[in-house]
Amino acid sequence: MADRILFSKFGRARFISHLDLMRTIQRAFFRSGIQIKHTEGYNPHPFVSIALPLSVGYSSDCEIMEFVLLGGASYEDLPEKMNAVLPEGVSVQACYPAENKLKELAYLNCIVRMDYDNGVPEAAEAAWRELLSRESLVVKKKSNKSKLGYTETDIIPLIHRWTLTAEDKAIRLDMVLSAQNPGLNPVVIRDAFCEAYPELTPDFMAVHRKEALDINEKPFR
Amino acid sequence: MDQRLERILPRVQKPARYTGGEYNAVIKDKAEIDIRFALCFPDTYEIGMSNLGCRILYGVMNREPDIWCERSFAPWGDMEEEMRKAEIPLYALESGDPLAQFDAIGFSLGYEMAYSNVLNMLDLAGLPLRSADRPGLTPLVLAGGTCCYNPEPLAPFMDLFVLGEGEEVTLEYLQLLKQAKNEGWDKARFLRQASHIPGIYVPSLYDVTYHEDGTVAAVTPKYEDVPARVTKRIIQDMDKSYFPVKTIIPSTEIVHDRVMLELFRGCIRGCRFCQAGYVYRPVRNRTPDLLAQYGKQALEDSGYREMTLSSLSSTDYPCLMELCDDLLDYCQARDIGLSLPSLRADTFSMGLMERLQRVRKGGLTFAPEAGTQRLRDAINKNLREEDLMQSVRTAFTGGWNGVKLYFMLGLPTETDEDVLGIADLARKVYFAWRECTPNRARGVRITVSTSWFVPKPHSAFQWEAQITREEYQRRVDLLRDAFRRDRSITYNWHDIQTSYLEAVFSRGDRRLADVLEWAWKHGAKLDSWSEYFDHQRWMDALAACGLNGDFYAHRERAKDEVFPWAVPDVGVRREFLWHERELCYQSVTTPDCRTRCSACGANQMLERGRTCG
Repeated sequence: MADRILFSKFGRARFISHLDLMRTIQRAFFRSGIQIKHTEGYNPHPFVSIALPLSVGYSSDCEIMEFVLLGGASYEDLPEKMNAVLPEGVSVQACYPAENKLKELAYLNCIVRMDYDNGVPEAAEAAWRELLSRESLVVKKKSNKSKLGYTETDIIPLIHRWTLTAEDKAIRLDMVLSAQNPGLNPVVIRDAFCEAYPELTPDFMAVHRKEALDINEKPFR
Repeated sequence: MDQRLERILPRVQKPARYTGGEYNAVIKDKAEIDIRFALCFPDTYEIGMSNLGCRILYGVMNREPDIWCERSFAPWGDMEEEMRKAEIPLYALESGDPLAQFDAIGFSLGYEMAYSNVLNMLDLAGLPLRSADRPGLTPLVLAGGTCCYNPEPLAPFMDLFVLGEGEEVTLEYLQLLKQAKNEGWDKARFLRQASHIPGIYVPSLYDVTYHEDGTVAAVTPKYEDVPARVTKRIIQDMDKSYFPVKTIIPSTEIVHDRVMLELFRGCIRGCRFCQAGYVYRPVRNRTPDLLAQYGKQALEDSGYREMTLSSLSSTDYPCLMELCDDLLDYCQARDIGLSLPSLRADTFSMGLMERLQRVRKGGLTFAPEAGTQRLRDAINKNLREEDLMQSVRTAFTGGWNGVKLYFMLGLPTETDEDVLGIADLARKVYFAWRECTPNRARGVRITVSTSWFVPKPHSAFQWEAQITREEYQRRVDLLRDAFRRDRSITYNWHDIQTSYLEAVFSRGDRRLADVLEWAWKHGAKLDSWSEYFDHQRWMDALAACGLNGDFYAHRERAKDEVFPWAVPDVGVRREFLWHERELCYQSVTTPDCRTRCSACGANQMLERGRTCG
């Protein structure tokens, strides 16, 4: 089976795109002297796979990357060796053999902060609660495959749990969202909210992936 | 990170260009720093981070405990718009601090079309464009790079120019700046003192007078202690000069995403049109052992899987085989690609190329520059047709199926026969393919590209007129017509509008500063990108300033005309360049510097006047 690293992405590194991050980590493996398995074929390159791509600008404490460790480091000393050669804001926390399949990653615990720079409007908290409490909330998503040019998805079933805290200048949502097949990106919730309550559009949304969870809501590793 | 920036970045293209924080980026404690330097590249991050010179200077400065060098690049249009809207001034990537807080802001000037970005970056930094409007000692605004061998169009904007290789002189003027700061000098005193440092050109210390016909009458120092000519700086011993083994590895793709190993400086060839071939003289090599060591260390530290042996004409490196053998053993064992950026069409180079090529057999590129042997001799491009044909035969036999051929139109003495010679040569290459290819069914791609020759200062053709655009277009049409029936040959010609402006600015004088400023005020920026370039804007700018671009581009200069670049001295004698130009008109070649020294004068820059090479 494959090996995994659990890593964080924060600060300046939040703006490294998914593809660039893969390249960055591949290069870091070369720098560290750690050998990992390469793809076969005409132009072999180190095989790495990130479980769930993270949108540009989001931070995370629970990124998981799969690869096959061939040598140059033990599970214990790999994080330190890698962290010495990674750019600021990408930090490996642990390395271990995979004991489950990536498709068993069921939920993501996300902290979503909606900023209202001039203070949270009076109606905002109730509006957010109303939206998230709906029975169903169908959103249209652009699709080239569909004849209509879009597909419709009900996002309410994809929001597993949520709690809301209103602060002076922000609404903080602690949510457990479906991770894959289909997953739900918090930006979709924000867009749905802005469509329903355009006058309560937040000035900015910050997203932090706090934890990856399995079907029993236990940390997924 | 600045909260305003945090909000903008998710909305702009490729935001990782604007964050810093890459592997090997240098972070220092501001409290321990005396001089903060912002190294500015007037183009995008992807272009600027591919510049080896900037990486060298970054390393050289950051080795010093009292200097912190950071980077700044031109933002793309979407980012600029967001920055202006949010009132975020241009900042340096390492600290995020605004440029205006720095002690010195240094621009790397590699091509004329980046000039508008220099002004735009100064404005984004919130600084007045003109040196005279920045009364304080800091931030000192300066520039270096190839364009500084004629920096006149930028003269009113810059406090000083650095001529030549910057490794040593940078530290010299920064130490002076540190002293000036500590002792409370004013800017005038600092600049006067700086003008005494060899290689430093302070444009405000010279008066330029003009003849009635618009040519320069004289460039005169305002004071006796200011040198009449400023000679460029060179590194005497390449083995002792700094090489960036440990250098920034961007977290996003850049143009040259690989280790660049600089084998030598200068070029032995002496092509008469080539500014680089003259201004980087004399030739100075690094020893192969040291290069092999640098190359391996750089690969290990960077994690790159590709390395290029970069120099003006890499195959002229005397110990190339020895170096390649050493590096190939290392690279092949690790699946690392080794490449040469420029290829001469001779058997030696082809043999080498075959050994270096690992997987893809894509295209090969050659630059014959001219279509006939007569014209190649006239421009001293020592490439014989037999050699080119031998090279392409070898390549086609070995399974290559694409060749790119680069030419220039409008070279001095060019006739229609020379233009049509390009088509003949391309056809011969095509027939060589038919003759040699093991697999005709795969087809072949032969691409012919022509550019519009731009005469450059400090070259043998600095006196020449650029042919008019009508004439260039006529020659393009002539060639296009000649290719009409050749389906395997694709003909591309370079955009004529930027070539005209390059011709104007590369040999321009100080009066063009007003044109630059006018164009910038009317929106000019990122002019090397077709998305932003607007030719009409530049024509309007010239008209608004009462200047005629043709005066700079299409006028032949008299032998003894005073050039706007009268002060910068690259070490090559003007008489030598004139002689080379005369040889051109006689179609007489000059041997390369290793075969015979032509006494251009550049070796006088070497300690004890030793010969170069």
